[in-house]
Amino acid sequence: MTRSQILANLHTSLASNRPWLEAVARSAPHSIPPYVMPAADDLDAQFMAELHAIAGMAYPVADERAALTQIAALLADRPSPQIIAWEVEQIGLAGLAALLDQQGVTLATSDLHGTSRSAHLQNMEPLAICISGVEAGIAESGSLVLRHGPGRPRLASLLAPCHIAILRRSQLVRGLGEALALLRNRYGEEIFTSTSNLTLITGPSRTADIEMTLSLGIHGPPEVHVVLVG
Amino acid sequence: MSSQPISFYERVNTALDDTSLKTALNRATERFVGNRAGALRALSDANGLRDAARAIRAGALAQLDTLLVQLAERVEARGGHVCWASDAAEAQRYIVNLAQARQVRSIVKSKSMASEEIHLNQALEAAGVQVVETDLGEYIIQLAGETPSHIIAPSIHKTREQVSELFHQHLGVPPTDDIPTMTQTARRALRQRFLQADMGISGVNFGVADEGAVVIVENEGNARLSTSVPRIHVAIMGIERIVAHMEDLGVMLQVLARSATGQKLSVYTSIINGPARPGEADGPEEFHLVLLDNGRSKMLGSQYAEALLCIRCGACLNACPVYQAIGGHAYGGVYSGPIGAVLTPILQPDLPDVYLLPQASSLCGACQEVCPVRIAIPDLLLRHRADAVKAGKAHPIEQAAMSSYKRMMTNPFLYRAAGRAARNGSRLIGRKGRIRRLPPPLHTWSRGRDFPTLPAKSFSEMWEEEN
Repeated sequence: MTRSQILANLHTSLASNRPWLEAVARSAPHSIPPYVMPAADDLDAQFMAELHAIAGMAYPVADERAALTQIAALLADRPSPQIIAWEVEQIGLAGLAALLDQQGVTLATSDLHGTSRSAHLQNMEPLAICISGVEAGIAESGSLVLRHGPGRPRLASLLAPCHIAILRRSQLVRGLGEALALLRNRYGEEIFTSTSNLTLITGPSRTADIEMTLSLGIHGPPEVHVVLVG
Repeated sequence: MSSQPISFYERVNTALDDTSLKTALNRATERFVGNRAGALRALSDANGLRDAARAIRAGALAQLDTLLVQLAERVEARGGHVCWASDAAEAQRYIVNLAQARQVRSIVKSKSMASEEIHLNQALEAAGVQVVETDLGEYIIQLAGETPSHIIAPSIHKTREQVSELFHQHLGVPPTDDIPTMTQTARRALRQRFLQADMGISGVNFGVADEGAVVIVENEGNARLSTSVPRIHVAIMGIERIVAHMEDLGVMLQVLARSATGQKLSVYTSIINGPARPGEADGPEEFHLVLLDNGRSKMLGSQYAEALLCIRCGACLNACPVYQAIGGHAYGGVYSGPIGAVLTPILQPDLPDVYLLPQASSLCGACQEVCPVRIAIPDLLLRHRADAVKAGKAHPIEQAAMSSYKRMMTNPFLYRAAGRAARNGSRLIGRKGRIRRLPPPLHTWSRGRDFPTLPAKSFSEMWEEEN
């Protein structure tokens, strides 16, 4: 059987090279730095500067009311009768359901596991806007951490050309190491119990595959708008 | 094109004669080298981070047997399937059989060097399944019928005119020299493929043993689409690409993105744990992880084990003066550049001329200097050279020359006599201090450059006269 053959080879190989590998493993600490760049004074400013540097947009707003106004403006610029979004309670922004109602915007069905998989996909394809919440924001790279799961579809940050993410100031951490530690503290061994996917998003989709020239939005959203609340 | 039987020397000469390749390579490698250097300078402790990355990778390899079992068990506990494949044929067979059993007609694929290694596309197409590469660079070279020429920028050898022509031919769009227009053309063409695909195939950057997860990094979003939209996701992972803990990503993702493109993090990092859970709207119904050995388990016990620390960032390609001159295709294997010259003789030992790859290096050390996990690539190349000599692969003239050289260097009388002969000879064939063409068998050395004539007196002769 292949599995036992591969494992037998590994045992034989490690019998000779494990001491060397262990010596290399001991040559430096494995501690994970919470962040890797010189600390900035202001996490919000650092997050926004990093996001701007990679062509993302950030909108710092004082409160939920101002956040709704900002979202309304983004929706008005891209009229779309339907959007692809997390369930409103998963986004956790009071008043968002009422705003969408008032604008006559409904959530597209994004369930791909039912019988109408292909119809749902074709229905979602022309839509202009995705809205999601986030688990955390990482200041030193301008990244968003999304923990998907029931009510939190992956396609709501992926399929449409404009992704709007709602991030609370209190969700900002300085670095990736800190973000991973936060997930561990919050969920322990249960990070993936109810979800199959965690995604870090660092700016708009990009490619430089033709002559090293940057183009945004090759497959994912060319626009990432982060409404930074609080 | 890396079309085989032509020899390594012929492929190198073809590459050296290609001026548009030269332009493309200069542009890409200079940009990557500069971006990487900038990204590392911005770190508080770049060397400390690299040391940690090396130690973490070595620690994972030291317990590769238990970590792989742990990874596989946790994937299965989540309802995923695991295929242990000892070689390319086994991995191919598993994926082709799966596609047939599930009546898969079309597959979207995101970039995977391991899938190149097992020639998966050819096997699937032979079985009547349509496979589309969805990374823009991979899509371009698939349309052109070529193979990747760089680990992370597979189509750097193509000019915008060539891409425009390919899109014109295959997609029926008018020619353009505007790159964003071409990108949008590809977005539209590939989007329908994603929506219609029955299966998505991806590579794996890191397998995370403690969570039973696989990590895929990318900038375009094609890997997210390939692993979220189709009913079935197949991930192909070289068995060495493992870390023990999810927290280790806090080091590995940082050095990978910075070394590869100079980004702080790649645009998308997907951490995927089995198939979609109940109540999840998207994500695949089936998840399959193919653990590809293909020589790696034996390599781990060899003098080349260190090369298994590699995280495929491509920094050594960009830094290498040989890669900068000849590009990826001349190497002939799936992996090119310095790390390719180490890996290919082990992973693809049957390629013709493969023993010559480790010769195509001046051992300048630039690769080791930039490697995020500090692999001693020049040492490994030297070991390959020694192995080739032991296996009787050295050219007879070279072998004779080396043994005379050894005799000469260990005998003062012979050394002086040889020096005199070389000085006299060089003045006979030189003109104005230059030799345009050295006599055989040295003539290939002077094909691209002049050789200086040697001075009339040796250093020790001058020393004796002065003192």
